[in-house]
Amino acid sequence: MAEKNNDFEPNIVAFLCNWCSYAGADLAGTSRIQYPPNVRVIRVMCSGRVNPLFVMNALQQGADGVLISGCHPGDCHYMQGNYYARRRFALMRNFLEYLGVEPERVRMSWVSASEGAKWKEVIEEVVSGVKSVGPMNKFQRRQLNW
Amino acid sequence: MVDVERLREIAREVISRDDVRQLIGYRQGTYGFRARPAFITSPEEVDQLIFSPACVNNLATYLTLEEKLPVPRGQEPDLRKVAVMVKGCDSRALVQQMEEKAYERERIVVLGIPCTGVVDMDKVEKRFPDVLSRGEITLEGDKFVLSFDGQREEVPKEELLADKCKRCRYPTPLVYDQLLDEAVERFADDDYSDVLELEKRSAEEKWAYWEEKFSRCIRCYSCRNVCPMCYCEDCVLDRLNPQWMRRSVDISENTAYHIARAYHLAGRCIQCGECQRVCPVEIPLMELNRKFYKDVEELYDYEPGTDAEAPPLLATFKVDDREDFIL
Ligand code: SF4
Ligand code: SF4
Ligand code: SF4
Repeated sequence: MAEKNNDFEPNIVAFLCNWCSYAGADLAGTSRIQYPPNVRVIRVMCSGRVNPLFVMNALQQGADGVLISGCHPGDCHYMQGNYYARRRFALMRNFLEYLGVEPERVRMSWVSASEGAKWKEVIEEVVSGVKSVGPMNKFQRRQLNW
Repeated sequence: MVDVERLREIAREVISRDDVRQLIGYRQGTYGFRARPAFITSPEEVDQLIFSPACVNNLATYLTLEEKLPVPRGQEPDLRKVAVMVKGCDSRALVQQMEEKAYERERIVVLGIPCTGVVDMDKVEKRFPDVLSRGEITLEGDKFVLSFDGQREEVPKEELLADKCKRCRYPTPLVYDQLLDEAVERFADDDYSDVLELEKRSAEEKWAYWEEKFSRCIRCYSCRNVCPMCYCEDCVLDRLNPQWMRRSVDISENTAYHIARAYHLAGRCIQCGECQRVCPVEIPLMELNRKFYKDVEELYDYEPGTDAEAPPLLATFKVDDREDFIL
């Protein structure tokens, strides 16, 4: 609590698709590319597997930001999963913004298996975005003092 | 205005048919100006039926609420049709339900009511508190006429009209077997001014606004139960494993509930306003639904409940959907 923004290290939950983004992040690792260590990766089979409620639930359980990443349009291993994900995410992001959750906290990206360098850029962008809006202190679960 | 005699005559014909087992319409409520749903199963009961600006309920809900018990061996399921009276907005619920293949078109008989607007009962009761004896509301020109206890009061339409009717795009039902009156012209349109006003605020102001609203919610789930589009047998709000929302009533779980409810109606909510009408603590649920309604129209040029042949919004995509927000 009460961290100053400049030494606030956000928790970011990233949902990565098995075929592109997870492999891209893996490539960043094996190529020894340095990127901020704020990301906790959850591997899903497809970005189309990401239920918008995952985003809500992550924010509830203490994430300061959420990233969903999948294959570029047209490259989805299951042909169409990322197109569905794109629609769902567009609506979710607008809605959370409407409730007062800064759009910097919920991001989506396309990262392919060969884009280790892009993965680093995405993470840097996401982390600096979340740092700029500070800790999530709106609707996470907390102990109530009755 | 729908002529009640004609309404009853048509209803009598419909319920007398061999292939119709039930007719859902409106009847006078027990007190005050209220009307309530009527479930008619025989021609003798038809004389209860009414239609007036007090008939606010969306009866499309009942088509999906009915519990379908397993049929004992040797018995045939009752496949006879259900007839239902719908206003313009209610008919869109039917269209959307059929778009989602909730049931077949042949299973229902639709009696369409071209609608000139209904009252907001809260506004009526604020204006005429403690009217317990039965009263009547009619629309004459641009005035609602309320008669009760031998009195007769005229009120300008604008003052008692439900908010949804002030932005109604489809007053004449979009689907019907029989229309109970002449079709009415569209008399209003939606400019999303309420949503636009909220969108302009800063993140802090928005959250302060919603935190106050959500913190009032007692999680009675009336808004879900009344909604014609909330008919999943296995609802995410009831699930125990995984449990998306805990049962506790606090700001975190309440917010989760409201996100989940509104999101599950994205591209499906047909703006009948029932959820907000039944909320006991006056949470402006329509402001949540309408955000999605507006976004869906802007981003995907899609309006729920207007085309039974269209694929459901989130079960389809276009290759060139907008993606300027993606890194
Ligand atoms: S929204 Fe339109 S159809 Fe529905 S009650 Fe109001 S005027 Fe009638
Ligand atoms: S969410 Fe509310 S306005 Fe939308 S269909 Fe359901 S009850 Fe009607
Ligand atoms: S009807 Fe109102 S109080 Fe009840 S669950 Fe819905 S929003 Fe909450």
